[in-house]
Order: sequence, then C-alpha cells, then structure tokens
Amino acid sequence: MKIFRSEAFPGVLSAAGLLLLWKAASLFFLPTFLPAPLELAGQIISIFSSASAYLVIGKTLERVFAGLILSMLLGAALGLGMGLRRAVASFFDSWIMVLLTFPSISWAFLAVLWFGLSDAAPIFAVVLIVFPYVAMNVWEGTKALDKDLTDMATVFRAKRSQLLRKVFIPQLMPYIFSSLRISFALAWKIALVSEAFGADRGVGKELTYWFQGSRADMMLAWGASFMALMVLIDALVLRPWENRVFSWRQVAAT
Amino acid sequence: MASQAVVIEGLSKKFPAPGGLGEFAVIDALSLQIARGSFASIVGPSGCGKSTLLNIIAGIEPHDSGEVRIAAQDEANTQARIGYVFQSPRLLNWLTVEDNIKFALEAQNIRRADWDERVRKYLDMVGLAGQERNFPLKLSGGMQQRVAIARAFAIEPDILLMDEPFSHLDEITARKMRIDLMRILERARPTILFVTHSLREAVFLSEEVYMMSVKPARIFKHLRVEIPRPREPEDPRLFDLEKDLVKEFFAVLEQAYR
Repeated sequence: MKIFRSEAFPGVLSAAGLLLLWKAASLFFLPTFLPAPLELAGQIISIFSSASAYLVIGKTLERVFAGLILSMLLGAALGLGMGLRRAVASFFDSWIMVLLTFPSISWAFLAVLWFGLSDAAPIFAVVLIVFPYVAMNVWEGTKALDKDLTDMATVFRAKRSQLLRKVFIPQLMPYIFSSLRISFALAWKIALVSEAFGADRGVGKELTYWFQGSRADMMLAWGASFMALMVLIDALVLRPWENRVFSWRQVAAT
Repeated sequence: MASQAVVIEGLSKKFPAPGGLGEFAVIDALSLQIARGSFASIVGPSGCGKSTLLNIIAGIEPHDSGEVRIAAQDEANTQARIGYVFQSPRLLNWLTVEDNIKFALEAQNIRRADWDERVRKYLDMVGLAGQERNFPLKLSGGMQQRVAIARAFAIEPDILLMDEPFSHLDEITARKMRIDLMRILERARPTILFVTHSLREAVFLSEEVYMMSVKPARIFKHLRVEIPRPREPEDPRLFDLEKDLVKEFFAVLEQAYR
C-alpha cells in the first residue's frame, strides 16, 4: 500500500507506538502517578484555563531571557576580545575553564543561598553556566577569521569600528547563532532547576509544589507545556531569525 | 619628482629559510619608479616575490630596508589612497555589492554625500549597473571580480595595485575582462601597478613593463610598450614583442636556476 512507503510513515508509526505504550502502562497505575495521554491533555488544558498560569510562565520566561541575553552579550564580547587580543585570552582562559568545569547544579544552589528568593538567583545561575560556553564558542570562531579579508580591510584603511561590525562580527555569526540555540536550551533548564530550589513564583516552583503533593500528573503537565513553548520559540523566532541573517548565503541557481 | 606616483628605493625583504637555517632574500635592493597616470606591469615567474612586493607597497607586509614613497594627490589627505585588486575578489559576502563599495569609501573618509554617485559611476564602468542590491554570492566569479575592480577604482586611488586579478578566471572570461579593463582606462586613469606571470597580458595592457628574475627578485629589464591604446589583443606587434621578451626571459632564468 502506498501509505507504508510515504516518508512520514515511520514518524507517525513511532508516535502512535509511544502513545499506545504509554496508554498501556498507565492502566497499571493511579492517574496521579502516571496519567494516560488524554488525562494529561486534560490537566494541561486545566493549567492554561487559569489566569495565574500565564503569570507563572511569564515570570520564568522573563528570567530565561534576561539570563540568555546577558550571557550572549557577555560571552560574545569576551570571546571576541580573547580572539583579538592575546593578553585578554591568556588572562581569562583559566577563568573560563574553571567556570565550565564547576558543577552546574552547585551554581543553582549557591545562587539561592546568595540571592535568596529573587529574580537575581535564577538569572545569576543561567549567566554563570551559559556565558563561558558562549565565550568559548565565539573564541573558537575568531580562530577561523579570514586573514585575506582582514588584509583587504587594512589596505583600504578600514576603521576599527568598520572592521568589527562589517568584517569580524559577520564571520562570527554562525558561531553566535549556534551558541544562541544551545544556550537557549540550556538556559531554560537551568532557570527551572534554580526556581525549584528557591523562588517565590515560576514554573520550577510549580514543579516542586506538585512534587511535594506527589502529583506526577501535574508535574508532567507543567513540564510538557513548558517544553512545547520552548520548541515553539525555537521554531517561530530563532530559526526564522537565523535564516534571515544568513540570507546572503543563498547562491544563485545558475 | 612631482610626476612620480610611486618611488621605491633599495627595497629589501628577507624571509626565514625553509628548515629554519638563516634567511634568504626575496627582494634585494629593488628600485622602481612609476610615473603618475601610467600603467606599469611587473612580470615574473611564480614565486619570485611579486605579491610580496605589492603587499609591502600596500603596507600589509613589513620590509627590512629601503623605502617606499607614494605621492598623495589630494592635499587634504596626507595618507596616499591605495586601491588593491587581489587574485580573488575578497568581497564581504554579507554586504550587498553597493555596500561593499561603500565600505571602501567610508574607510577612505570620502564624503557620504558622494557615495551614491561613486557607486553608480564605477559599477556602470565595470558593466554592473543594476546589481547594487545583489549579494556577491549571487554573481559569477567574473562579476565578483568586477565588483572588486569597481571598489578599487571608486576610491580614486593614488596607486592601484593589481595582483594577477584575472588568474582565477577561466581564459575566455579573463580575456573579456582584459579588453574591458582597457576600455575602462579610457574613462579613468589611476596609476596602476599590475603584477602578472603572463608576458602577453603585460604587453597587452601596459605602457611600462618591468621584468623580474627570481631569488632574489631583481628587475633585469624595463621597457616601454609604444603601441597606442586601445589595443587589439590580436595585434601582431604585441605578438612580436612578447616573442622577443620570452626569449630574453629564458636566457635570464636559465642563469638564475643554474
């Protein structure tokens, strides 16, 4: 039959298989311990039908993006600086290695100890974990800068700002974007963990709240909702943005 | 002398010898003068130090001794304007054709009010009118090199350096570009120092030809090509001249490699 040969078929089969297995497993447990697919969908709808859910999600998103933007700015600036000035690189090299190897989970705890129940704690945790990664990536990118283009710009006496904005940064954009996508995925996970350890409000806080009530169904519902939102942001914001920035790469179809 | 655009005196450049033992001279006591508005070529075999010489003139490679002076025409601009057409276009592929040219204009402190006029004039001159908003990667290799030529002409340089600018193109495109360059020179006459390994290209395009030997680079012959321009590529006088020069070249090279 034609349907078996269609390209979507394996994907559809795997999703259907997963749902079936899930449904079968849920028959052996209480709905609050392992809800069936439809029961979970019901819980997700109930979450989104209350106004306070939007405030909770909004608060977490605010922290994720504050941390992400700070990490990107700090990381990109440091990575660029390290790439262009050897002294900056040898100064910060060990700092970055320390930050990258320090266990991430400790930052989440320490942030709560140092900053208490505030926005600062999750943002601090996100920045400390994400920015060294961005700096490392952008620094790596500076090693691939095309010397021929730098020479060209030097011959034409390009100013430092021109060199930076029109020669260096565009060449680093692939590294900046790959950092951004991975940082985004990292940032929201860290923010949730940090909120779980201590926050007045947020998706992470919801997870601990329902954990204390042994409500696996609500934890799954919150987790799934937030995951869907993150996938949507990636697909509707980050990817189209990336495609637009790199539109110059489309070579003529001759 | 005021009529000289470029004066090079006793220029020497050493590179570390392969294997790390000592140094060898790439360029040794080279002297050269290029009159304002003339088209001079340096012809030499690959690896003779021609590109190194251009890079020293352009200021992107240091030299060991001697002097390079470029006279600035523009009194207000104390630094000489240097245009450079490289072997490959070296365009900023993320900027439009227009913005690539404006990049050079901005770097040279040319008044912003003049930018559009310059872009239009020089793109038109290289036959790319209407491509302002296109991105370089949408253009063929030959067209990209034309953008690079427009960029170098647009700053109206005191000296325009061209480093085998047609060597990366297929022969048919290269041939068309040479003829077009000849036409462009009827409209704009910067001082040009053109480097090539092709005697035919040199005699076709230039008024002055300097022939360079290897190890170290030294100019062993200088001649004027007296054939009036525009020239036809098939002009038998060019062929005769090329034939004579090739003979002379081999005589010198045989000595150098002995």
